[in-house]
Amino acid sequence: MTTVESKPGRARLLIMACLFVVTICSFVSCNSRSSNNTSPKFQQYYVQGEQLYLQYCSNCHQKDGSGLGLLYPPLDTSDFMQRHLEDVVCLIRNGKQGSLVVNGREYNQAMPALGISDLEIAEIATYIYNTWSHQEGLLDVKFVSEVLTSCDSLAMK
Amino acid sequence: MKSKIILPPAKYTISFLCFLIFACSISGCSRKEKPLPIFGEREVSGNDTIYHTIANFKFVDQDSSEVTNDTFKDKIYVADFFFTSCRTICPVMKTQMLRVYDSIENDPDVLLLSHTIDPEFDTVGLLNDYANRLGVNSKKWHFVTGSKEEIYKIAQTSYFATAMEDKSEPDGFIHSGAFLLIDKEKRIRGKYDGTKEEDVNRLLEDIEKLKKEDDHG
Repeated sequence: MTTVESKPGRARLLIMACLFVVTICSFVSCNSRSSNNTSPKFQQYYVQGEQLYLQYCSNCHQKDGSGLGLLYPPLDTSDFMQRHLEDVVCLIRNGKQGSLVVNGREYNQAMPALGISDLEIAEIATYIYNTWSHQEGLLDVKFVSEVLTSCDSLAMK
Repeated sequence: MKSKIILPPAKYTISFLCFLIFACSISGCSRKEKPLPIFGEREVSGNDTIYHTIANFKFVDQDSSEVTNDTFKDKIYVADFFFTSCRTICPVMKTQMLRVYDSIENDPDVLLLSHTIDPEFDTVGLLNDYANRLGVNSKKWHFVTGSKEEIYKIAQTSYFATAMEDKSEPDGFIHSGAFLLIDKEKRIRGKYDGTKEEDVNRLLEDIEKLKKEDDHG
């Protein structure tokens, strides 16, 4: 008798355990997707930035930031982005001609100048720098505008 | 004793299930899959129907090899129109075509054909670099260039695809993002939006359907 009763009990326990694990996993994955910066300003930049990213960037760099072959460099994991935040802000504004090395691989497809405002650049930068493997936090318009004024003096060749 | 009473119904149940599976499989076989449509005008001459087919062509691919109708003799192929400097829909199309490539890479019956609509800029060398950067085999996926008139003409009159120059467009060209599925008889059997994942899923299914069609004669 006892063995008969203990079976459904064990099954229920197993289901509960599974549910618990799933809940924990979804929690963790939610947290890791974007930065833990939860200020309203960050959220606003991030949400706007995602829209702008889908409008201007994802055609080439893909929705998931994986890039396309050796034509368009990835953004999801990018040593170039990690090392050259200011250059990235400038090239969103001015576009990019010529070759660029990302993660040790050489890319050489022209990127057009986007003709968008400082705020929009800040929103895109906040989005791409807080998604996938990046957690830079908010890149606000004040910071981005300052970087943009110094673009010409940055070595962008 | 109890088990003896339970057994006969179980036996019936099993045989009933067997019958059900058998009946389902029979009806599955007899239900003929809807054949893919054949696009374009058709003429009836005597007892024969003459369908619209892709006209003869002669282009050059990324290896400087000549690509003609004979390249696609007894092959199913997927065609599209693009150009390498296009920043709007082409990268999305190429991402999707790459999915098609991945699924047919080892299939000797299926090839891919991408025409540049900007042949003045997209030289053989540039197409070669582009294909290499996508990491694709030139025997499987031909990127072709040729005379602009010939390319536009075949796009519009053979593939029913839009391709033309328009200086008012951001990139200087108007073209559709269509993928065209061509059968072994050079007939158009499907048209898909190459910028939409779901449409390309349908293309992948249709390629399989078309191959079965060939198997049955």
